[in-house]
Amino acid sequence: MITRKASLFLIAPAIILLGCLFLYPLGYSLLWAFRDEEFGGWGLQNFAKAFALYSNDVLFTLIIVTLSTAIIGVLSVAIGGYLTLGENRVALVVLRWLYRWPLFIPFVVAAQLMRTFLAKNGMMNNIIVSTGLMEPLQAASYLDWRGIVITFVWKQTPFVALLVAGAMASLDRSTIEAARNLGASRLRILFEIVVPQVATTLMVGLILSYVVMMSVLSVPLMINAQTPTMITVDMAWRINAYSDYGVANALGFISYAMTAVIAWVYLRQGVREGGKPA
Amino acid sequence: MTSKIANLFTSAALALAIGSMAQAENVLNVASGGSQNMVDYVTDYLGPLFEEQNPGWEVNVVGTGPGNAGSQAILEKIKAQAGNETWDTDVVVMTQLKSGEMVTEGLLQKYVGDIETGKLATRDTSKSALGTDVEGYVMPMFHSQTAIAYNPDLVSNPPASFDELKTWTAENKGAFGYNGIKNGMSGVAFTAAWMYAYAGNTDQLMNGPYDPELKNSWDQALNDLKAFNENVTFTPGNAGTLDMMNRGEIVMGPVWVDMFYTWQADGRLNPNLKLLLPEPGMPGQPYYYAVPAKAENAEAARKFIALATSPEVQAEGIVKRFNWYPGIDAQHVESALDQETWNKLFTDVTPEDLAAKGKPFPLGPFFDDIREAYEQKVSN
Amino acid sequence: MTILRTTLTAVLLALLAFAIFGPITNMLIWSVAETWYFPAKLPQSYGFSFWERVFRPQGNAMESLWSSVLIALFTVLASLAVAIPAGLALGRGSLPWRTFFLLLFLLPQAFPSIAVHMNIARIFYGLGLNGTYGGVVLVHTIQGLVFSVWIATAAFAAVDHELEEAAANMGASPFTVFRTVTLPLALPGLMASAIFVFLISLDEFTGTYFVGVPDITTMPLLLFTASMEGNYQIASITALILLVPSVGFMLFIERFLKSDVLAKVGS
Repeated sequence: MITRKASLFLIAPAIILLGCLFLYPLGYSLLWAFRDEEFGGWGLQNFAKAFALYSNDVLFTLIIVTLSTAIIGVLSVAIGGYLTLGENRVALVVLRWLYRWPLFIPFVVAAQLMRTFLAKNGMMNNIIVSTGLMEPLQAASYLDWRGIVITFVWKQTPFVALLVAGAMASLDRSTIEAARNLGASRLRILFEIVVPQVATTLMVGLILSYVVMMSVLSVPLMINAQTPTMITVDMAWRINAYSDYGVANALGFISYAMTAVIAWVYLRQGVREGGKPA
Repeated sequence: MTSKIANLFTSAALALAIGSMAQAENVLNVASGGSQNMVDYVTDYLGPLFEEQNPGWEVNVVGTGPGNAGSQAILEKIKAQAGNETWDTDVVVMTQLKSGEMVTEGLLQKYVGDIETGKLATRDTSKSALGTDVEGYVMPMFHSQTAIAYNPDLVSNPPASFDELKTWTAENKGAFGYNGIKNGMSGVAFTAAWMYAYAGNTDQLMNGPYDPELKNSWDQALNDLKAFNENVTFTPGNAGTLDMMNRGEIVMGPVWVDMFYTWQADGRLNPNLKLLLPEPGMPGQPYYYAVPAKAENAEAARKFIALATSPEVQAEGIVKRFNWYPGIDAQHVESALDQETWNKLFTDVTPEDLAAKGKPFPLGPFFDDIREAYEQKVSN
Repeated sequence: MTILRTTLTAVLLALLAFAIFGPITNMLIWSVAETWYFPAKLPQSYGFSFWERVFRPQGNAMESLWSSVLIALFTVLASLAVAIPAGLALGRGSLPWRTFFLLLFLLPQAFPSIAVHMNIARIFYGLGLNGTYGGVVLVHTIQGLVFSVWIATAAFAAVDHELEEAAANMGASPFTVFRTVTLPLALPGLMASAIFVFLISLDEFTGTYFVGVPDITTMPLLLFTASMEGNYQIASITALILLVPSVGFMLFIERFLKSDVLAKVGS
């Protein structure tokens, strides 16, 4: 067993690295959010302005990211569940091979792929139209909030599904087999036995995705042509158009606050489990 | 096994060390806050030319992306090293807005008087950047212009003015597309042009003096723009507008002339598409060459810019190879070019059009007001 | 019933395949399209002239790729150097405020980086780290910290305690136990964390710009401008080059990322 002192000593290099090269510069940014350039004092003016101009965008960001996280959760459970409980061997092999492809595609590439894929005359609609399933006139563009959600889900689901499927695979099979012998349907086994046991892993995967999606700039910038848009776009806009770091940092602060809610959920979970390794 | 891995890393470390040693002598660092073709221009044409004329020098260029965002990245990088003795960037290529900011913050040096080509650029834009006095600090690399691109196969009678454009979009809902104001400069240019057409005081908007009360008289123009927006398709960015034209989702939209030509050359746009400048005109802007105040190789930077703004290079590189409007005054360039190339540059937009309808962007503070007013009253 | 079920499974899988490979195919086509515009549904002409443009000697594509890979390798080393002890402490130790520490590593991923990078660059200039490989490696290490530390923690947590105790009972020193039992057992998990870090580093853009440029250029720097301004051919080709190591690792990762480790990530 490693002692408390030794543990702190072991984690020190990572914490020092993080502290000097990230937390310190981050502190500057957060502080700057409270700086009032016009009158040279400190205060909440930047926040007032951020809310006056971008309250819709803040709400939009929250909805988009939450919705994407929810869809990612559902899809990952579905994929992981089928990989654990599925019976069709061919389908299992195909699915295992299939679902991970987008895992390591960078966001900027994903955004570019989707921009040409989801457009009104993009490849997706072209293919659907040429199979005769849809009339050309019905083709619609998905380059709005739906495009952002689709891109996020496309990019992040493989990551969460990988974690969830792994956790499911390491479960003790005997309870599953027992339930099956008692005649429980697979859907019921999934939701009553499997999912509760992998809840922590699922949550961790979703938190990571939520946080990453919150801070991506290229996807909303390249896909969403409409207003409202996401906070990161507004931050870039404040800096690039007005050199206004105050409001940009205030927006960053708000975005951090939204992440903090998620962190709080995580912390509660940790406390409930007694902070011990799972 | 472990020794193999160790060997691999040792050789990698060696390669790193050797690699950085080979680069050590005389590198001129150019940061270009422009589109890819501007970076290619230095990589493929200007850089090699400079290296040929100045043996022992190597030109290293980095692109930071188009628009103010790209230039902002350069500005931030320079600011971050403001406390150092010398700075790692020798030549910067930037937009008007950000060049003005850099001059105001004392991050650039005066050099135009020291180079021979300095007197070849006399247009207003080489002295004033959106109202900021930048005389002596900048040389225009080229002038870029926004214009309306359209597909003549589908638009037989293109609108010649903003009034006609309004009627046209009402009749052809969704066929005109632009990118709002947050996603790139072509949309901003369109908005500025709209204000020139409908807000009144056009001269004052462009040349000052600044009057903070003026924005109160814009309500009508902004409401009209909001109504106009009901009939248009929004596009994701400068490239997004061209991209939607590429797929035929819109048939008309504001674009940067040089980007338009690049897309045609790269096979991403129908070669039949045309450009027009509607009454009363649309904004354009130069990209500036400037030298950071503590550039390590300021002497070489001046030489580089002198070469870049010489009539021969402007003719061969800027006009002939890249279809840009020259940065230095046109008469110096025209004599160095064959007539055919010269005419090709002005196929759609004639020099007369350009002189009459090529406008600058609004004065800095007005420009801020316009963008904020748009955020508050049009897109909200 | 079974036929119906099989058909349903097949249809769902086909849809999934379409959703995943549709966009990727799109990219493959763009990378060899020479002319492609409305109303053509597929390119009017194909060719490799854009490949020649990307790989022209002045374009530095190969150099950038090489430095991208080198930086990624050293980032992996640096990450493991801090993540192995941190993972031991978090996974095996008795650390006060353990969850708080775990969360701390999430921060670099959570803040929109636009506003922070100038401050980071300022500090790096102050330390003389700008324009050095070391500086870029450090920035990438921080970006990947949440993955390296969380996965390493899970890897150590998954090691069977009894084996360690057995070794200790036979008189092995704590370090010998670590070297001969714990580390080898955690190795697959650590490899997985290394792969994640490698790929994050390979794709990183903003940090490289602020800390590396002008002395160091990486592949994503070439990709970013091309992508943002819609130069689809160049962007697709660059993405394709970056995709090769990514897909290679993806097919590989299953061998290292064992399910018992996955079950413990972040907890």
